[in-house]
Amino acid sequence: MSKRPLEGLRVADFSWFGAGPIAANTLCHFGAEVVRIESETKVDGIRMVHPFAMNPDGTFKSGYNVSGYFNNYNTGKLSMSLNLNTEKGQEIGYRIIEKSDFFLTNFTPRVVDKWNLRYDQITKVNPSIIAAYAPMQGLEGPHRDFLGFGAVLTPVTGISEMSGFPNRPPFGIGTNYPDYVINPGHTVTAMLAAHRYRLKTGKGQCVELPQLESVVNALGTAVAERLANGTNPTRTGNRHPAYSPHGAFRCADDPGSVNSPDRWVVVACRDDAEWMRVAGVLGHGDIAQDGRFNSLVARKDNEDELEGLVNSWTAGWKAEELCAALQAAGVPAGVVQNAQDMLDRDPHLKDREYYQYVEHAEAGREAHDSPAARLSETPGWVPGPAPLMGEHTMDVCERIIGLTMDEIADLLAEGVLV
Amino acid sequence: MTDRALEGVRVIEFTDEIGSYCGRLLGDLGAEVIKVEPPGGGRERHVGPFITGFEGEPDASLAFWVHNTSKKSVVLDLDLPGAQETARKLALSADIVLEDYPVGYLSARGLGYEQLRSQKPSLVYTSVTGFGQTGPHAGWAYADIVGQAMGGLMTLAGQQSDPPNLIYGRQADVSASIHAAQGTMIALLHAEATGQGQLVDVSAQEAVSISQETAMQFWDFHKKNRTRTGELGALPIRLPGSGTLKTKDGYVLLLIIAPAGKDLPDLVAWMREEGKAGKLDEEPYASLLAKFNMAFLTQLMGNPAEAVTVLQHLGAMNQEIANFFASKTAKEAYEEGQNRQLLVGIVSTPKDLAENTQLRARDWYVTFPEAPAGPAVEFPGPPYRLSETPALIARPPRLGEHTEAVLAAL
Repeated sequence: MSKRPLEGLRVADFSWFGAGPIAANTLCHFGAEVVRIESETKVDGIRMVHPFAMNPDGTFKSGYNVSGYFNNYNTGKLSMSLNLNTEKGQEIGYRIIEKSDFFLTNFTPRVVDKWNLRYDQITKVNPSIIAAYAPMQGLEGPHRDFLGFGAVLTPVTGISEMSGFPNRPPFGIGTNYPDYVINPGHTVTAMLAAHRYRLKTGKGQCVELPQLESVVNALGTAVAERLANGTNPTRTGNRHPAYSPHGAFRCADDPGSVNSPDRWVVVACRDDAEWMRVAGVLGHGDIAQDGRFNSLVARKDNEDELEGLVNSWTAGWKAEELCAALQAAGVPAGVVQNAQDMLDRDPHLKDREYYQYVEHAEAGREAHDSPAARLSETPGWVPGPAPLMGEHTMDVCERIIGLTMDEIADLLAEGVLV
Repeated sequence: MTDRALEGVRVIEFTDEIGSYCGRLLGDLGAEVIKVEPPGGGRERHVGPFITGFEGEPDASLAFWVHNTSKKSVVLDLDLPGAQETARKLALSADIVLEDYPVGYLSARGLGYEQLRSQKPSLVYTSVTGFGQTGPHAGWAYADIVGQAMGGLMTLAGQQSDPPNLIYGRQADVSASIHAAQGTMIALLHAEATGQGQLVDVSAQEAVSISQETAMQFWDFHKKNRTRTGELGALPIRLPGSGTLKTKDGYVLLLIIAPAGKDLPDLVAWMREEGKAGKLDEEPYASLLAKFNMAFLTQLMGNPAEAVTVLQHLGAMNQEIANFFASKTAKEAYEEGQNRQLLVGIVSTPKDLAENTQLRARDWYVTFPEAPAGPAVEFPGPPYRLSETPALIARPPRLGEHTEAVLAAL
């Protein structure tokens, strides 16, 4: 296999849960060596979150190493057990930082302080390091110690208010959404930009990614509209200001779709021509000339009625067949796919081999998201399974920071390497 | 003068809705980003909301603004051979070409990856499309909602009795753009180190896959699909200290029973201080709440007899807590709750965000003294703060504003 583009770079990954580890995962996909600092005294919560791999008899496996959630976001990393509540643990942490090109954490500023991991502290051992901090609200400011994670950030950043149907309370979107692309992706972008500057000048820097700021930046127009026009926009369901019809329409149930038999096709009609093609595919080409629906303005005025009609037309269709027919007519359309579709039924994702499978010592064969940016000459890939808790403690101590076996034995005895 | 991380990098972008946010990230970090637009502008310039009083004008679309800061705009009609030649020259003057046209559109005009790299081997060419450059669906038509549906996000969002929900803010486009920015940065570093350029192929469908959270492994491990669970989220029933609650003027989300932060007794203490603990200080509620956390709930699931006795009291406890939050504004509930280390999140409206204590204290918003349309205006700030090379947001360009200057310098 080819050499990966970030080979030779090391990341001291003091992060946990979603956003931080996913950022480091991307760097690892492209060849960086990532040393995950973990501790049994403060276990990364997502090591204990479902789904767990199963035994052949149908029972769940147990322990820190069998969460598919954790394993997907930590592929190919090294795991080092280190108790940062001890002074010696912090010294070992500094020695890893000294040997690293990047430092990353998403612990709260309070914990960063407690573990003496502030930028002014770690640059004493490594002045040219690029240090990325990704706390909820920022390292400073009146809310810097506010608690949260993706599910709290979703309402706080406006995503909940702006998503969903207006007749429902703003209950959110079902996941810890900002953790998965927005925050880790922004973090990596900034770290690599800082790396380019370091290559030119030799200077490292502090990269602060307040998750609140990162997400509101990517929220779309809602806040800009408030600032410019003084309005206070809210959610409008699946509708779009300039496209109509625009939404999810129900098709025939599919009993083969496990515990989610309801099937939906989404359609986005960006102009009259696309709408006419939709009506044609659905066998109602005549309606496109109807005065209630023959222009965007008319369709917006009669949108409830329009959506009711389209729903009545899609009801008998098999979702995949309707989607294919609409696409054949050049209309943006898609099936509301579930994970079964994504992993097993979508021919396109299969053809592109998006999901990559690796063997994990405890969890067994697992599917993984692969890098969504495909580089033709220096591609990234899932380099191997997620580490077992503390699997590489000895390797990191010996190879990276050069401790002797005696020193390691003492640290083990003193409860530092746990 | 401020140092910029992407100083000296030139990006020529042929983007509309999918890839424009990627170009914006590069521009804010200091790259020179030149957006080549069709006469009249692409779709993004014609989608609202617009600046009041400038409805329908291509320079006044906020949908365009939020994805096109720190760029220059050059108008070229790529259907004309002369303009194709100009665009080719422009593209070959760049370190990075960024595009989001349907597959094959640019190569039909002499602007494809293979055509350009034969003349400039160091070129990074980033294509951001709905389904990527290869595979049976590569030619499919795309819009953001299609990416969110086909990528597995919508199936997880919404109330079971409603259609699956779209996430606000063109999140499939944004996700594709953010993956593209990361891939482009890696390819740029490689090109600068070795002289070797490459194609960066991003599919919006794949870009959102990782946001399925645990749904992918529930299928992989257990052959079960996660479905949308709406208001209750991951919980089977409404539990005290959880869920979206009404306040005087809006909503808050409570996740007090989650492992982080203080537990329910601290919420009750707060209610008591304000004389609003009501029944929660009486039995059986008081002793129940004292131990009501995730560990207790897990244990309860293994003990159906005890669970039944607990369940009958939930309604009354939920009601007291709901009454308490209904007596406060969302902001009071959020800030006071968080100051007590209780996991309370405000359901921010755009107005709340514009006035957010933390964002204002940190001076996050920027100002465009000369906006593309309308008077001077405030605008959301950058996603990150780099101590040596800050991301700086310059106002988006008017349509064709830089055509003359850029072409004259070519």
